[in-house]
Amino acid sequence: MYRYDEFDHAFVSARVAQFRDQVERRLSGEIAEDAFRPLRLMNGVYLQLHAYMLRVAIPYGTLNAKQMRMLAHIARKYDRGYGHFTTRQNIQYNWPKLSDTPDILTDLASVEMHAIQTSGNCIRNVTADHFAGAAADEAADPRPYAEILRQWSSVHPEFSFLPRKFKIAVTGSEHDRAAIQVHDIGLQLKKNDKGELGFAVWVGGGQGRTPLLAKKIRDFLPEEDLLSYTTAIVRVYNLHGRRDNKYKARIKILVHETGVEELTRQIEAEFVHLKDGELKLPDQDIAAITNYFAPPALPERPEGWANLAAWKKADEGFARWVQQNVHPHKNPDYASVTISLKPIGGIPGDATDSQMDLVADLAEEYAFDEIRISHEQNIIFPHVAIADLEPLYRALQPAGLGTANAGLITDIIACPGLDYCALANARSIPVAQELSTRFGSAERQAEIGELKIKISGCINACGHHHVGHIGLLGVEKKGAELYQITLGGSADENSSIGEIIGRGFEPEKVTDAVETVVNTYLAIRTHASERFIDTYRRVGPQPFKDALYGPSSKAA
Amino acid sequence: MIYKVLTANRLGDGIAVWLNASGEWTTSLQEALVARHAEAEASLEAIGKRDFAANKVLDVNLVEVEEDGETIRPIRLRERIRAEGPTVGYGENAYAPTRAA
Amino acid sequence: MTKIWKETGFVENDAWALPVEGEALPEGARPILALGEFLEQMEASNEGGFGVLIAPADDVTKLAPYLERLALVALAFPAFNDGRAFSHASLLRSRLGYEGEVRAVGDVLIDQIPLMIRCGIDSFAVKNPTALKRLAENRLPGIDLHTQPAFKSAETGQRYSWRRKAS
Repeated sequence: MYRYDEFDHAFVSARVAQFRDQVERRLSGEIAEDAFRPLRLMNGVYLQLHAYMLRVAIPYGTLNAKQMRMLAHIARKYDRGYGHFTTRQNIQYNWPKLSDTPDILTDLASVEMHAIQTSGNCIRNVTADHFAGAAADEAADPRPYAEILRQWSSVHPEFSFLPRKFKIAVTGSEHDRAAIQVHDIGLQLKKNDKGELGFAVWVGGGQGRTPLLAKKIRDFLPEEDLLSYTTAIVRVYNLHGRRDNKYKARIKILVHETGVEELTRQIEAEFVHLKDGELKLPDQDIAAITNYFAPPALPERPEGWANLAAWKKADEGFARWVQQNVHPHKNPDYASVTISLKPIGGIPGDATDSQMDLVADLAEEYAFDEIRISHEQNIIFPHVAIADLEPLYRALQPAGLGTANAGLITDIIACPGLDYCALANARSIPVAQELSTRFGSAERQAEIGELKIKISGCINACGHHHVGHIGLLGVEKKGAELYQITLGGSADENSSIGEIIGRGFEPEKVTDAVETVVNTYLAIRTHASERFIDTYRRVGPQPFKDALYGPSSKAA
Repeated sequence: MIYKVLTANRLGDGIAVWLNASGEWTTSLQEALVARHAEAEASLEAIGKRDFAANKVLDVNLVEVEEDGETIRPIRLRERIRAEGPTVGYGENAYAPTRAA
Repeated sequence: MTKIWKETGFVENDAWALPVEGEALPEGARPILALGEFLEQMEASNEGGFGVLIAPADDVTKLAPYLERLALVALAFPAFNDGRAFSHASLLRSRLGYEGEVRAVGDVLIDQIPLMIRCGIDSFAVKNPTALKRLAENRLPGIDLHTQPAFKSAETGQRYSWRRKAS
């Protein structure tokens, strides 16, 4: 993974000093809240319902044990003993004091971490495939480019006051594990016929009030043009994105209102001036950054396979965990492992400080000190020897980190919702907990198979409900919570926005409604191997509407 | 009857607070000064503006409450959660039963 | 009261003035014209030494044929978080090659001034008291290490092509 050099250390220290000065000025009253607000947002500090919230960056979801231990330390020292991993691969703390944030940032800087631009109308954390570097289907690891974009976008003088936030995601394979089509810029790293690396470029995806899938505007952008082309896109957005209405200010609206052909023309016209200029990436810089992401040396461990068969036979729970949470690796003696942060009845994406410390220890022992956070709010060990799966499982289980549910119905994505968030209209966490409990049995989960439930507590869609196979959107109606169900969303290479199925459900009816949807699916699927999303695409919404609202219903 | 209380978040630590009868910001909604008529509301608003300008608090708002005997109860669910904390557990208490809101 | 600041210090006797509706210009003041009016003036005479105001929605590239006749380009920041003028400055300097004075006007605050300087803005109409105080003390809150090139030149050679260090 990337390691700071002297320049990076000095940069982050200067940034912390700058923010410390800004906080002191705020606490002394020398700077008022409306001038301070964008400055604190650009350092990840929000004001929520109960307290401030600090969002720490985990660049492209990658961290090591030392960094994970620091995240645990921050939870213990400055917060209430836990953190929440997010759908953008970051971590959030819910109870920091503003007056402590400069010290928190100092502690983070000591392990090469920061909270730069995790909020604000600027370029945010560049996210990436959580199996990057391990997946067999990759053209190449996309993370070096995420790192280059991270550096280039940090404290960018031209792009610090964009019309709105700007999110970039990168994947390295055709199979999109980074949800690139619902990002402002989505990049797919690929090779052309000559074997040269470059990107397919999508622009204008996003969720929220107006969910839209991105449009592909370039089939192959040579890697050396990455920064020039991105500058062209963001400059056009900075100049022409709407600033009159917060809910119409993302680039997806600009694409929609200008038209993708015209907007592409503007981007390409700007790019012509920038191409071959000072933003062109020299081969040696790409190579130098790529070097940091060289995979660990993986010793042969052929004994893993024989052991695995025996372990699975001896322990059904372990067998289920292997089946669900262990994913193929390009090296046959190895696997990538999902450490589920979705215990049955638990809070999706949360981890206690002791769990974080344990994950750090296990990463050092079994995972070559490499940890990832996925946009599905789970922890990933990308490189684990098959021979080490059983001892790893044994260590995870007692800490509540061994739930065998990756991709299953209880692997729920949920935003913090009205329990924490000042923007929310309804709670998400209790809904997730109840659903998880209702469907918690291993047999039931296995029967249902892959089913991604995503829950947002408001239209801002931080829970990514628009791209859930089953999406739940919490709204406020007549002072009470109500949940709208959408079906058929998906965030992979066949991205789709879920369709609203009908009128919403009260909190005490939501779990039954979801169970009705699930039972409908089970009754009409052609075969146990037809996933929910495939059944939905085959039959459409009507059978589900009939089941939920009665056969006479036609419209929502 | 619907009345108003004044709420905000403390500058230093962001904790949710309410204005009490002594003109201080308290972390307990139950100690809040209840404004029962327009003049009292106007007075609360003025104090809110003053303390915002004095950088003691931010995000100052008048919120609607009703009185249930001795208990002050916000009308909006959001404000009830603000007053009582998350309805779900956290950290080591993540499995605590959800509190009714 | 508004003062004009440059990296060399506060400027006395700045002659430029933004016309205010219904008011006469101060005596001896040179008007900073709105873009539409400026373009008309360009057609109407061959004179030089003009000042023009670029509003956020204006197309700064319209100035391209007239750079020789411009003494001042003022870039409006009506709200400090309207960031369009950062792009105007960048284009004016890097694309059009304008070498005259570029001034930030409007909601000019201390925390944005270092970013404005990097984009090529070299004078600032400042009324915010904190900003005036910090500028008088020459205490700008910028970071001298940069992770992207910008118009204002800075040292390269910081290992990667996109890094710079303020000289």
